[in-house]
Amino acid sequence: MNEKMLTTLQELRKFALNKGITAEFFFHEEDSALMRFANSAISLNTNEHLLRLEITAYEDQKRASFSMITNLDAVEDMKQGVLQAAEIVKHAQPLSYQPTIPVYQETIIEDFAFDPDLAGISNSEKLDYFNQAVDGLESDQIKLGGIYSSGKNVIAMMNTQSEHAQAFTTSDAQITMVLSHKTLKWEVIDEQSAQKKADLDPAPLHRQLSYLLGHYQNDPAEQVPLGEYDIVFGPAATAELVNTMNWIGFNGGMMKRGYSFLTEEHLGQQVLGETFTLVDDPSRRETFPFSRDMMGVRREPFTLFDKGVFRAFTWNQDDADEYGAQPTGHDVMHKSLVVGAGDEPINTLEELVNAPREKDVLYIPFIHYMNFVNPSKGLITGSSRFGALLLKQDGSVVVPYNVRLTQSLLDIFGEKVAWMSDGQVAYNTSSSYGARNPTALVVPNFVYVKDLAISHANSSY
Amino acid sequence: MHQQIKAQIDRVVSSGAVYADARWYPVEEANHLTMWNGNLKHASASRESGMGVRVLHQGAWGFSASSDMNNLTGLFDKALDNARTAAERVTFPIRLAEKDAVQASFSSPNQIDPFTIPYGEKVGFLKEMDQLLDQPGVTQRIVRLTFMRKQILYFDSEGSEIEKNIIEVFPSLGVMGMDADGAAHERTFRPSRLGDTRGWETIDQTLFTREGERIVRELNQVLKAEPCPKEDRSVILLPGIMFLQTHETIGHALELDRILGYELAFAGGSFVTLGDFGNLRYGSEKLTARANATVTNSPGSFGYDDDGVPAQDNLLIDKGILVGAITGRQMVEEANATARKPIFQGSSGANRATAFYRVPIERMTNINIDPGTDGTLEDIIKNTEKGIVLDGDKSWSIGSNREQFHFATEIGWLVEEGEITQVVKNATYKGDTLKFYNALSAVGDESTWELKYVDNCGKGQPSQIMQLGHGIPVCRFDDVRIGE
Repeated sequence: MNEKMLTTLQELRKFALNKGITAEFFFHEEDSALMRFANSAISLNTNEHLLRLEITAYEDQKRASFSMITNLDAVEDMKQGVLQAAEIVKHAQPLSYQPTIPVYQETIIEDFAFDPDLAGISNSEKLDYFNQAVDGLESDQIKLGGIYSSGKNVIAMMNTQSEHAQAFTTSDAQITMVLSHKTLKWEVIDEQSAQKKADLDPAPLHRQLSYLLGHYQNDPAEQVPLGEYDIVFGPAATAELVNTMNWIGFNGGMMKRGYSFLTEEHLGQQVLGETFTLVDDPSRRETFPFSRDMMGVRREPFTLFDKGVFRAFTWNQDDADEYGAQPTGHDVMHKSLVVGAGDEPINTLEELVNAPREKDVLYIPFIHYMNFVNPSKGLITGSSRFGALLLKQDGSVVVPYNVRLTQSLLDIFGEKVAWMSDGQVAYNTSSSYGARNPTALVVPNFVYVKDLAISHANSSY
Repeated sequence: MHQQIKAQIDRVVSSGAVYADARWYPVEEANHLTMWNGNLKHASASRESGMGVRVLHQGAWGFSASSDMNNLTGLFDKALDNARTAAERVTFPIRLAEKDAVQASFSSPNQIDPFTIPYGEKVGFLKEMDQLLDQPGVTQRIVRLTFMRKQILYFDSEGSEIEKNIIEVFPSLGVMGMDADGAAHERTFRPSRLGDTRGWETIDQTLFTREGERIVRELNQVLKAEPCPKEDRSVILLPGIMFLQTHETIGHALELDRILGYELAFAGGSFVTLGDFGNLRYGSEKLTARANATVTNSPGSFGYDDDGVPAQDNLLIDKGILVGAITGRQMVEEANATARKPIFQGSSGANRATAFYRVPIERMTNINIDPGTDGTLEDIIKNTEKGIVLDGDKSWSIGSNREQFHFATEIGWLVEEGEITQVVKNATYKGDTLKFYNALSAVGDESTWELKYVDNCGKGQPSQIMQLGHGIPVCRFDDVRIGE
């Protein structure tokens, strides 16, 4: 962490105290780079270095914030921001509860999830990685797309309640590689998530993309008849589905507002299938964790579902203050969700395709444009994309045109789950909306669910 | 600063770049206020400034951005360096469609700058609306006000210099309630744009009071309603959902970068091909759609895009036939070269970036549907045998090539033999895009046309949020599956 950032926090704290202002200061610094590919060319090569400062001022039960993009030389500007926040809070409406301001008991400066080699990876290294991963796979019709997003992230915070600070530095890379057919418009994908440079390896991507291309170029394609199928979800699909529970599942505040398929009556009950265990586990480095939350609470493994039994809601401080609940250390930019591995020794697509089966099985690696149709019922909808396969009972493989699933999470992760892989993978779910916030879930390589209905099937690619 | 920027542009061009532009944001401000169940959960303001630089070198783009204006040389050099790397993997060397160099300015029309309104007055509005919504049946009340103000100075190596000053106001009301089964339902109000301006004067307290009472009344109807049946009906889409249908299945489908495959790794592509322009029957003859960036009171109007091209009003679909796309300078050149014929006559002026630290990409302006000749909403209902009127966007999910979709709405009213018979909850509809638009059987007249705004359209990597508009009449589509 930049020493100047710490001294700037101290200076802002001193300034606020001298002015009689109660305030929190939160820095977010990102040094981000993104190399984007489309039509087998680099369509965009960009980088940005941004420092954001958010100042939250408090006055009794009132709270207001002012944020700015700034640089560490602009301390006077930042002080004006402090005054701005203090001015806004004067006009704010008192909350119906007393908001809690953290009192940090010790200074935490942490960079165990930072690798300077990954953060500083060069343009030529990134291009070389991509070239290796698709070596020999492109053609006049097969085009490369994707991203190599990498960077360094620093968050640092202090407030007027104590002299201590918290600062966390991470490095991350998210690689997405897509090969698409120029005229037929199908796409296959493979991805890699890295927290340190040693995590990077283009070879597995080359193997997976080669394998998928083999099927997509040689196997027949067809519109899938509507009906029920056994479906195997790949890591991206599983991660996306589990991630929705952050919003409409175990979030205590959302539950209280009626925006969840879980209620307090579900606590201790068998809600999902016995194969489903979900833990927020900040000890998993590949999820880009911090050791403390923003309130200074030490992050510990936190069980959400234990063999399908719902164990706990997560509570951030503000929701806990409002609803009289106990905060659970979840004032975080992202959780470290880990779906427990199963016991099925099928971990590669090739193993899945070659496994004996009693009926046709639909492999869905990725769910496109998922949305909540009815949050209270856990009902979601989305379409397959990026390399689905229909594994026929007779051992043959068909390429299915994309299909739509409109299903409840209660069914997808309920008793219909037949098995999960005994191996896990980190799936990167980072979004580049707003400030950089590397995020990944750890999920089983495959989740096999019986008898899920397809609600729509495309008639072509 | 102007001279320094122009000197840097000249310098990178003399270093081998064939084109360069810079967007300097001296100031961009936003103000967000959210009152949730009487609690002012968010009272925030933000300010940012910085510059984004785009350099074209040997057929490839490089981009760099920074909030630190003390090292312009480093910023421009980084953009050029990024372009040099990108030039190592070029399949179609980028070139830009012709445009005139302009020295111009644009200011969005507003009478009252919302940033001059005291916080106390803004909070007073939230409080009054919150109290209005605090009625039986309502468990959650959400009142939001968002204000944006940005100054953008654009310079390019072709001699253009443009200053834009844009103000936007985005207000909304929302209520939620629980039905007897414990399921949540919601009803929202986001005002259509009326008048010719975009400032604080558009916050019409009388309108908000009337509409607030309406959404509470309709929420309570939904809470007691039967579920939407699962069957085929005519769907009559009010502007409060038809704007999103248009957005997702006409707007995004006709972005030229999607059509050319530039979003295939993320947002998706389009079922439209270059061979479809002038030929494809996108919808029935009742469908005429346009990209009109000259509507004065909409966030989809911005004077000049971030290629420095003036705002335009262009047809996209003419009486059902596909005739145009949403384009910028780069993509029209590639499309015409790929098709080996001039499909597009220059840029349509739709290349925009969300912030100084993002690169411009094809974005919707105001994607509008022309009013039709099928009368008022009442006329359309009267002429519908078995249908459902739908309003309010609750959920939306679209296929990766925009070829199919599934929408859930906040409310539905069943229509039997030309009359509304009952309200239903959990209303949904789905379809295939071309089949759906070809089943367009009625388009309302000007009395049904409303200009809706979108303040959060996401696209691109790194992701960008954009503001735009949709001028939309009531539309009816036949034989649509509902209730799934």
